[in-house]
Amino acid sequence: MTEISRRSFNLLAGASLTTLSTPLFAPSVLGQAKPRLIVVGGGPGGATVARYVAKDSAGAIDVTLIEPLKNFTTCFFSNLYVGGFRDLKSLRHNYDNVRKGGVNVVPVMASSIDRDKKQVWLAGGSRVSYDRLVIAPGIDLKWDSVPGYSEAAAQIMPHAWKPGAQTELLVKKLNSLKDGDLIVMVAPPNPFRCPPGPYERASMFAHVLKKKGHKKSKIIIVDAKPTFSKQAVFMEGWEKHYPGMIEWQDPKMHGGIKGVDPKTGEIKTDLSTYKAKLANIIPAQMAGKIARDAGLADQSGYCPIDPESMKSKIDTNIFVVGDAAIPGDMPKSAFAANSQAKVAAMVVRAELTKSRAFPARYSNTCWSLIAPDDDIKVGASYEPGEGKIKQTTGFVSQKGEPADVRKQNYKESVDWYNGIVADVFG
Amino acid sequence: MTFMLIISGLTTAPGVDVELGRYLSSECMTCHGTAKADSTIPNIFGLGQTRFAAAIKAYRDKALPNPVMQTIASRLSDDDIAALALYFQTAKKPK
Repeated sequence: MTEISRRSFNLLAGASLTTLSTPLFAPSVLGQAKPRLIVVGGGPGGATVARYVAKDSAGAIDVTLIEPLKNFTTCFFSNLYVGGFRDLKSLRHNYDNVRKGGVNVVPVMASSIDRDKKQVWLAGGSRVSYDRLVIAPGIDLKWDSVPGYSEAAAQIMPHAWKPGAQTELLVKKLNSLKDGDLIVMVAPPNPFRCPPGPYERASMFAHVLKKKGHKKSKIIIVDAKPTFSKQAVFMEGWEKHYPGMIEWQDPKMHGGIKGVDPKTGEIKTDLSTYKAKLANIIPAQMAGKIARDAGLADQSGYCPIDPESMKSKIDTNIFVVGDAAIPGDMPKSAFAANSQAKVAAMVVRAELTKSRAFPARYSNTCWSLIAPDDDIKVGASYEPGEGKIKQTTGFVSQKGEPADVRKQNYKESVDWYNGIVADVFG
Repeated sequence: MTFMLIISGLTTAPGVDVELGRYLSSECMTCHGTAKADSTIPNIFGLGQTRFAAAIKAYRDKALPNPVMQTIASRLSDDDIAALALYFQTAKKPK
């Protein structure tokens, strides 16, 4: 096991820093090796941090992104794949332009963090030192939050809450349903990735069934929580487009989720047992393993952060962005991760080059498609306040909005997708 | 210390903080970086300071309808808007 030298690490990454432009302002560490930022996780949070630090430091900071996937499939917009509005290929993005932006992209798994030595261990036993570390590992699933559910059970009852093979399995099962079949979704407790996601997904299930001419099929959502994001407008849309097809049950209605059985397809609540042809089990969630193993998460399973900087409250050399963080009033979304990443990138750049920093500002918008051209949205601005990321203003779609507003929302969401993936992946 | 001011070739204007404009612009880039002629999200690069500032102030006053832009504009001060307007007048759209 060896520590990778800066030179060999750059070679390992397949990128040479000599291709970068010479810094046009003097970094504080002139005469020394460049300060190094390591970013773990190449999703909307991590890739954004890496790209923005590389761009804004103009080569004065050595930026390395550790991400084992060669192609990243976005979780956001994966419901549109479920509904048949997009193909999976359109959700896949590579790191070619991240590299071109001056980031060393290392396609291996980061296995652990040695906070005392300020080093990240990589799969295979090598390690790399950092001056600042940003982690954006996303979520892990709490398998045992739904009795009877497991990683093996997910091959029969997909969660599809991480993109890729699980989403493909979900779609395959959805497309094989016959009229009269039952879909049961178990929706997770707060806080979880993409608060409107389960309900947009149920809408997409219903859209597919309606398009196939199903008259008797039914979708039951067994929810672990009493309310959900954009609830009033979702439920209005369900009655308008899919009358009687979607039934949402809060804990008072089902009495508690008792468990699932992948062998029989049964989902048991306190009051009923359902036999589903398609069971979509979305368990409770927590920060990705590397963050928890490094002691960066609290008892909630997520990582407390300083709202002024996105720095971990546990280790000031480490920033946590995206779904793994405790984001105050912000939801766990790609938009939020991208927004948090820009604050973290600004603070990293300012600290490592002794350049100017600005007060943190955050924003988020989430669009959800209920039916073709019927899209709703929720959004807000946020700033540090009361020790957390605090919402300052916001909006949500209203019941009874004109069709042209909803159609415009959908077009806007598609344009947003194109914009954010370019911002994240170049 | 400045950052990127020289690299981007941005112009300056008395009393306008273009570095602040660059920082604030990162919020805009989430949506506006790839805007095309037929996009619902318009291109704002090279938009001219006066036109840019008038549009943002109209969203801030809710004279223009989109709630996403109304929310974003609501916390921008006149100085913030001037900084963003100067930045986007000269910044180049990413390729």
